[in-house]
Amino acid sequence: MTVVDIPPPLPVRDRTALHERAPGALSPMLTRLAEERATGVLVREHGTLHLAEGRVVHAESPLAPGLDVLLTARGTLDAAAWPWTDDIPAATHRLLVAGLLPRGALELCRLGALYDAGYFALAPSSTPGRFRYGTTAAAGPPGAVRPLRAVPVTALERETLRRRELLHRIWPDPSADGAPLIRADPVAPPPVTPRQRAVLDRVDGVRTAPQIARELGRPAFHTLVDVRRLAAAGLLVPRNTVPPPPPLPPVTDPDIALLKRLRDALEAL
Amino acid sequence: MPGIDECLLEAMRLPGARGAALVDWTSGLALGTVGEAPGGDHETTAAEAAELARLAAEHGAFSTADDTEVTPPVEDLIVSNRDSYHLLRFVVTSFDATVFLHLWLAREDGNLALARIRLGEMAERLVLG
Repeated sequence: MTVVDIPPPLPVRDRTALHERAPGALSPMLTRLAEERATGVLVREHGTLHLAEGRVVHAESPLAPGLDVLLTARGTLDAAAWPWTDDIPAATHRLLVAGLLPRGALELCRLGALYDAGYFALAPSSTPGRFRYGTTAAAGPPGAVRPLRAVPVTALERETLRRRELLHRIWPDPSADGAPLIRADPVAPPPVTPRQRAVLDRVDGVRTAPQIARELGRPAFHTLVDVRRLAAAGLLVPRNTVPPPPPLPPVTDPDIALLKRLRDALEAL
Repeated sequence: MPGIDECLLEAMRLPGARGAALVDWTSGLALGTVGEAPGGDHETTAAEAAELARLAAEHGAFSTADDTEVTPPVEDLIVSNRDSYHLLRFVVTSFDATVFLHLWLAREDGNLALARIRLGEMAERLVLG
């Protein structure tokens, strides 16, 4: 007689223990890299984080408009004046050295873009992240200009968690964040703010929230805040990717037609 | 050329200044902080002040007659309590940003009128150089 043993349960990652070890940590790998003061690029599913000595100096995400878009969209910087290069930290440094923008404006815009892209880079992902050790300079080559501030990993993680909570409090359904949006027509539409109006005007059944953000030259998270508020107000809905069921064919069956006439007659009594 | 930190340190030189921060009113993120925070925690203060600033910036009741979409129509907010003043000054940027300077003043030593004028100048210099 063969005795069949029940196979032992598969190992499951103990999520509670993970949280206890590093409260608020979104990526154990990132926590470890910060601890070992690593320098290089962390590539995740929805974005990349550039680290210098364990601190975040730059973040990029296809979902968040970059500093180049934010600065040129509304003519703060002439598109021709942007030092066109894929290396945004180097371009930022060049702008700073050339004095094309006041330091305050550049710091403000760049920090905003970093936290914005960081939010998407740290979004839950289905694939593990990869880290490429490298020589990411703190903010361009050393020079007379003070480099731009690096952001501690814990600060970026804390802010990302706070932002998730903020969106959840506004409207708990995240389906409008990435889907094409369509306008809804509530019976009594609530008033919208000018910033929400700009978003709503671009809702056309094709554009997604990140695309609208890019067009407006506005941080993507800021656009999500307005999109969730508009969704909560019933002014927009994500377009359903599943097509609506086809309309019922016109009734031709004489029996059904008779039954319908009978029903109508009974209702009219 | 002043950056965020220089701007906040300058605000701290105003008589009675206890703390200052540059805050984004859409996300509630503190882009820079200096000095004390009213509740002891700059992040919580920033998030709460951002909520107040957002309501003032977005509600039609506080808009001007020539309503433009570009900037918040409100220039600043003043909140006073028994021992201090809070002055929130919106920063007008040419790019799309939603930020304000938050200055916390001790009521006994603070000069609200002076602080209001100076903070306005600082907000302008921060982004215009």
